[in-house]
Amino acid sequence: MKQFPGPQLLLGILLALLVAAPVSAQVYTVDYLGYGWEQASGPLKAAGDELIITSVADDIDPAFEIDLGTEEVTLHIYGLISDGPVDGGGYTIINYTGGYMDIYEDPAMNADWGINPPNATSPGTFTEGSLFFRGAFTSFTMYFDASGAYGSFEGNLDGIAGSIINEMCTNCVYTWGGAFTLEAGAQIPEGYWIQIDGTFEIDSAVDTETASWGSVKALFK
Amino acid sequence: MKTMMKGLLIVLVVAALPLGASAQQLFDFNGQALLPAGVGGQLTMYSVMFDPAPIDSPIPLDFANYEFTLVLEGATLTVDGISRIFAGGTVTIYQDAATSADYANPATFTDGTAILVGNLTSLSQFVPPVGPGSASGHLDWVGGTRLTDMAPDDQLNWTFVSGTNANSGTLEPGYDEVWDGKTEPPSTIVDTEAASMSKVKALFK
Repeated sequence: MKQFPGPQLLLGILLALLVAAPVSAQVYTVDYLGYGWEQASGPLKAAGDELIITSVADDIDPAFEIDLGTEEVTLHIYGLISDGPVDGGGYTIINYTGGYMDIYEDPAMNADWGINPPNATSPGTFTEGSLFFRGAFTSFTMYFDASGAYGSFEGNLDGIAGSIINEMCTNCVYTWGGAFTLEAGAQIPEGYWIQIDGTFEIDSAVDTETASWGSVKALFK
Repeated sequence: MKTMMKGLLIVLVVAALPLGASAQQLFDFNGQALLPAGVGGQLTMYSVMFDPAPIDSPIPLDFANYEFTLVLEGATLTVDGISRIFAGGTVTIYQDAATSADYANPATFTDGTAILVGNLTSLSQFVPPVGPGSASGHLDWVGGTRLTDMAPDDQLNWTFVSGTNANSGTLEPGYDEVWDGKTEPPSTIVDTEAASMSKVKALFK
């Protein structure tokens, strides 16, 4: 009669599968530039204001096999609702709730910010083409320096759609961050609030690799 | 009267006919920084520049045939903390067709032709206790083989802004922070067009 493995052996096998064959971490990046505005009346940064950003990638990881000379990659961030400014002790923090980021690849190459958004071209020309990635923000925060003229931002996303979902890695970590400025010296189109510059990172640090029983067992020999 | 008229025409020709310039212009870069150990130490940042299309470069750069690197050196940390303040420092843009920039070998960022050399007139860095940081400052271009591609007034008071992140997944071994930013003129730089006297005069008819 064939004996089933005991509980201790089963646990050992489960543990082995959980830690199986780690793959070297890989980070894929999309570098972008853009401009953002608030869709609300009243004071900027107030609780309830929606932050919207349209931007264009100017560098993309070769792994995505996109030629930015023949196709543009545009980013549309929307639905980020301000929780209102909070004093961080000499600087200002704003947390945002909700929000999505859509990334498109588009051979039309016609992205145009125009002025006083929303307008005939923004966000319209940033939401054309095929969906490369759609993510839902699980967190998003802006950090303003003491002068309020510049700062940084960072958000984490859950990937929910797009051609690259599950293509680069499973259980990917999606991070979107960078710097912003609203200084008078920056060339910010009329009607936009901030200029941004940053990177969308896809981190496969928790990637997995399919392995045979033999190779899993070999790890413990 | 004749001299006055001649002077007026020269001024008109110099200021003549801006060409269809984009509304926004900037130099975009992505790099790695070495932070000073403390007050008195110096900041260094090596970066590769990208074609910022559809935004224009302030002066035309041939990204198809050359690599452009932007290097910040010699900025001395004078105040440390959440808000760091630096004094001095230079920003240089190199054009190079020979070697690929490699962070393991910083010399690959400073070879080639120095097309623009600038002095930082201010630089500060905001580093919140959580989250990424940012740097902001201004610079004046004072040298380089392409300096005269810009009118004297266009060489001054450029904005320098960068994201700074010690926890980025793209941090290279041996470096302290990823810097992803841009520098841009305070207003759009416009090209000039050669025009005949009659064409200039026709503008005033």
